[in-house]
Amino acid sequence: MATSPLFCLWITTLTLASNLAAQGTPLPQNPAFEEPTFNRDIRPILADKCFACHGPDGGARKGKLRLDRREDALADRGGYAAILPGDLEESELVYRIQAHPEDRMPPSDWRKSLSQKEIETLISWVSVGAKYEEHWSLVPPVRPDLGQHIASAVDTLLNRKLQAQGLTPAPQADRATLLRRLSFDLIGLPPTPAELKIFVADQKDGAWERQVDRLLASPHFGERMAMGWLDLVRYADTVGYHGDQTHNVSPYRDWVIYAFNENMPFDEFTRMQLAGDILEGAGDDGLIASCYNRLLQSSHEGGVQLKEYAAIYSADRVRNFGSVWLGLTVGCAQCHDHKFDPIEQRDFYQIAAFFADIDDRGHLRKDSGRNTNPTPREPEVDVLSPLDRQEVLRLETMLAELPEGESAERSFLESRKAAIQPRRVMVSNSTTPREVRVLNRGDWMDESGEVVEPAVLSALKQLQTSETRASREDLANWLMEPDQPLTARVFVNRLWRQFFGRGLSRILDNLGSQGAWPDHPELLDWLAVEFRESGWDNKHMVRLIVTSEAYQRSSTPTAKSLELDPDNIHFGRQNRWRLEAELIRDQALAVSGLLVSRIGGTSGLPYQPVGYYEHLNFPKRKYKAANGEQQYRRGVYTHWQRTFLHPAMLAFDAPTREECSAERPISNTPAAALALLNDPSFVEAARAFAQRALLEGGTTDFARLEWIMKNALGRTADKKECSLLKNLLAEHRRQYQNDPQGVEALLAVGDFEHDPLLKPDEIAAWTSVTRTVLNLHESISRL
Amino acid sequence: MPDCRPNPGLTRRNFLLHSGFGIGAVAFAPLVGNPGWDASCLQDPGLFPGVLGFPNHTPRVKRVIFLSMAGGPSHLESFDFKPKLAEMDGQPMPASFTDGQPIAQLQGKQLNVLGPQLSFQRHGESGLEISDAFPWTAKLADKICVLKGMHTEQINHDPAHTFMNTGVAISGRPSMGSWVNYALGSESSDLPGFVVMTSVGGRDPQPVNSRQWNNGFLPSRFQGVPFQSQGDPVHYVKSPAGITAERQRETLDAIAALNQIRDRELQDPELTARIAQYEMAFRMQTSVPELADFSNESQEVLDMYGTQGADGSYAANCLMARRLAERGVRFIHLYHRGWDHHDGLQKFTNICAGLTDRPTWALVTDLERLGLLEDTLVVWGGEFGRTPMSQSPGDSPGRDHHMRGFSMWLAGGGIRGGMTHGATDELGYHAVENVTHVHDLHATMLHLLGIDHTKLTIRAKGRDFRLTDVSGEVIHPILA
Repeated sequence: MATSPLFCLWITTLTLASNLAAQGTPLPQNPAFEEPTFNRDIRPILADKCFACHGPDGGARKGKLRLDRREDALADRGGYAAILPGDLEESELVYRIQAHPEDRMPPSDWRKSLSQKEIETLISWVSVGAKYEEHWSLVPPVRPDLGQHIASAVDTLLNRKLQAQGLTPAPQADRATLLRRLSFDLIGLPPTPAELKIFVADQKDGAWERQVDRLLASPHFGERMAMGWLDLVRYADTVGYHGDQTHNVSPYRDWVIYAFNENMPFDEFTRMQLAGDILEGAGDDGLIASCYNRLLQSSHEGGVQLKEYAAIYSADRVRNFGSVWLGLTVGCAQCHDHKFDPIEQRDFYQIAAFFADIDDRGHLRKDSGRNTNPTPREPEVDVLSPLDRQEVLRLETMLAELPEGESAERSFLESRKAAIQPRRVMVSNSTTPREVRVLNRGDWMDESGEVVEPAVLSALKQLQTSETRASREDLANWLMEPDQPLTARVFVNRLWRQFFGRGLSRILDNLGSQGAWPDHPELLDWLAVEFRESGWDNKHMVRLIVTSEAYQRSSTPTAKSLELDPDNIHFGRQNRWRLEAELIRDQALAVSGLLVSRIGGTSGLPYQPVGYYEHLNFPKRKYKAANGEQQYRRGVYTHWQRTFLHPAMLAFDAPTREECSAERPISNTPAAALALLNDPSFVEAARAFAQRALLEGGTTDFARLEWIMKNALGRTADKKECSLLKNLLAEHRRQYQNDPQGVEALLAVGDFEHDPLLKPDEIAAWTSVTRTVLNLHESISRL
Repeated sequence: MPDCRPNPGLTRRNFLLHSGFGIGAVAFAPLVGNPGWDASCLQDPGLFPGVLGFPNHTPRVKRVIFLSMAGGPSHLESFDFKPKLAEMDGQPMPASFTDGQPIAQLQGKQLNVLGPQLSFQRHGESGLEISDAFPWTAKLADKICVLKGMHTEQINHDPAHTFMNTGVAISGRPSMGSWVNYALGSESSDLPGFVVMTSVGGRDPQPVNSRQWNNGFLPSRFQGVPFQSQGDPVHYVKSPAGITAERQRETLDAIAALNQIRDRELQDPELTARIAQYEMAFRMQTSVPELADFSNESQEVLDMYGTQGADGSYAANCLMARRLAERGVRFIHLYHRGWDHHDGLQKFTNICAGLTDRPTWALVTDLERLGLLEDTLVVWGGEFGRTPMSQSPGDSPGRDHHMRGFSMWLAGGGIRGGMTHGATDELGYHAVENVTHVHDLHATMLHLLGIDHTKLTIRAKGRDFRLTDVSGEVIHPILA
């Protein structure tokens, strides 16, 4: 075998390195000198560049060579082997990756090639023995030993790495920033000035923990947590396909909020959704939770092939289940074995078989007579959601405490109670399972595939099979078994992202071999084990994360930290990001006093541009914005029209929820600027905020400016800011004094009626101030 | 000249975090710093130049105007004349054609042949056969290339549109307009690079979902922006009542000044980008209404299209398309909803063609007059075709959805006019000759734009995705 110049160069380098090491000289901080590890260094290269033809997919395999398993890579191929550990001369792989174009791998006409550095890494790996490791996320997490008695595992693990990297952690953020951060992260609302005052004045030990506990106990905690979960399970108010009619789902949203508020253990939370209809004693709540299995997109389009749609729904459920709980792209195995992960095509259909008992008659129809809005999608039940039941109890307690006899208060409470009526929700109903076959190439018309029974991924520990067919409940229990490697990691990784802006493994929807090697594998595993061993205690995990020092660090970078860790991989400082779509709305409603803080219920219908639904049909429909309470609901309750999501939500990156969405992009677009400037909801909020400033913010311009800043940003304005805002106020005050029509027009944006005792031109001028403040970068940022 | 392109070291994952249509400002959130981008790009709310490496060969066209005849026009009543159908009118459809084939609304029904409902003539020097419903398109006979061997994989409207736009029927993939803008960037600093317009008229219109212009897992700046025919043309493009342009400007100035003060402390590159986005938004508040104001068009031009103003009609949308093309918009997508002719095929084809035929001719002719046709690709067609079999028998029969064979046409830069490519069988059921898959159409469209469709990929969920999935061949014989 010819020795390439590159090869010589590499040998020289390696020799140099071992010489240096032998002399006791510390090796330079150059990854090329580090012994490569399979999961961190090798698998990403092989997966990206080689597995397409030499990986798990038997159908696509070339040259009968498989490099994803050591025994195959080392196997004798008639006198030679792809890899002979430690023997660079005799390893065909080493030759091929450096060979002349005709022999070279990957082939020169393929669109991918190996970089110089990747070639060197592979060679280095073969030279030190070509050790394989099972893919990290498929090995059960083990809690790293942190020595005795540690205050915070999060800080211990992060600080070790910071020290090793020579990074100085950022100082703690100031208290105003901290409380604003915590409030948005835990309840999705800004702190009130009163809350801020208490925290700033609280100099006793445990002040931070007291805030954490207060917010964890807030009923708004569930609303905040639900946002992410609803993205994952693709919760939406409409069916998604074709006529995109409204279907009945809102009690499910209530149940999710309730479950997070009550800190339902994650294993129960999982079981209820996957199998609430068949769980012993799960009652109405089990049925409501089992709506999860019905949240997929469905169609009654006239020409649907029922068999085709049975296959589409089945695949949709497998994709979603795989993304939500396993963090794997199981959906890739619909037509062939997975290209990168050990997921066989058979696995896909075996998972599908778990869901084959779900009564889909309501989804599998093509009956245009049912294209009503809302559309029936049986089976459905009429129930009080758990939040409704809590509210009824609360009202009954209040009623019981009232003095006997008629009173205005009694009749008010009575009417509130009477307004709480059962709502309709789609539920799961277990019937005789449909036959599930492996569909060759995913083709629903092909009936030659093998019939399969429910079974879990073949690469993972198998279900303890009994005589009977495995159920959705078995599937849920399997997810929670102690040696199940994925469930806990997937959840805590996403939880971490909620509080740090980035996962410990950066790709939240794929922990497979094409995902990202975790930046902090030990911490991820520590948290995963802690989550499971705590009894799947969500609030415990949240508390653990937000009480860490790392969480409380300032997010302002220094020149040095930017230089040493530009992407903040080591969390030496907090990250900062633009608020989620719902929270931008919530903040505007909260500071303006318009927010209706009731928990749960049907979807809110905020103002929306006219004609936005003009493309919809079956039936044609006009959007009617709500009057009164339903106009001012939090963003999480916004009517989620899959095909035409509210434009302000879209502008701030809310997903359409057609598919599972584990991570929202964060964009910065003119569409967002236009929405925040001109959407009537935000203009109305600015108007109401201005009125509040006039009524509650003191009597001088200065006091009112301070009050506005304090409410919106949790801080006071500096001199320059004050003078800028004062100039704007003076200018618009002058303009509006001479423009009564302009005043009238502005004060008519939105339903909110201003206080007749206030001067309209004053409200208008102050609206310019509040509108400006609500549009500030800082207002829509979580710092 | 600053290099505003991401450098090769910039991961696609990072790239997913930026956005902002038609603007060069880059947002790295929650990351700090801007690896691979010249800082001056952040200050300059200029143009997004596209991703590195594209175009990867000399482009023949700069933009695409895609005329979607939503609902699926009948190829058998437009461009694919089948005398054999007339012969067999009313007879049972031979089972050899239909056995094992997916059937839409005719499932389980008696399948009978329906003869052509319109007559055809040959037109132009090329002698293209075009039905009498399209007298104006007939005038373009020597300019257009008709693909008569098209086929798709979806038999219902919603998934077939999704397939035609994204190359896959599963929701959540980027549409072709997003791909093109991602690759090539924008040529307009005050308009989005991907604009969508819809019109209605014909048989009960099928819905068209925003999924059809979604950016999928591309940055949201590449999302198609629908121009509405009611209310503001673009959402929230009008200042609130009581806020004059002057007040809006003063408010924006105050926002920018306050942001800048704060930035000294926060040092957030996102913030600089935010200021640029607000400026772009303000420019759009002027440029969009100006775009929709046809008062500077001559009466002759208005008459040519058959429109008086931007009223949401197909005619007005065609004129708007030309105005957008002039202003550097990269991908202009029109939908005319009304082509789903399960019954009343003859009547409704005439109605739909009556609304669209002349404006389509006017658009192509006007583009040519202005010298824009040579660097524009115009595509005409539905999401699928219609069955040779009859539906709704009686006085006014129609045809069902059909995916195995249909016609589309192309015109403009790089296209050989006056030709047909591909053919269906004698009954117009299966595409049998030079069969053209939707992926092939995409590959060809990208090729004309200077893009190798196998190289235009983005990594999401751990794998590389393409508009053409894992197939697609450029249709070389139709290229000039």
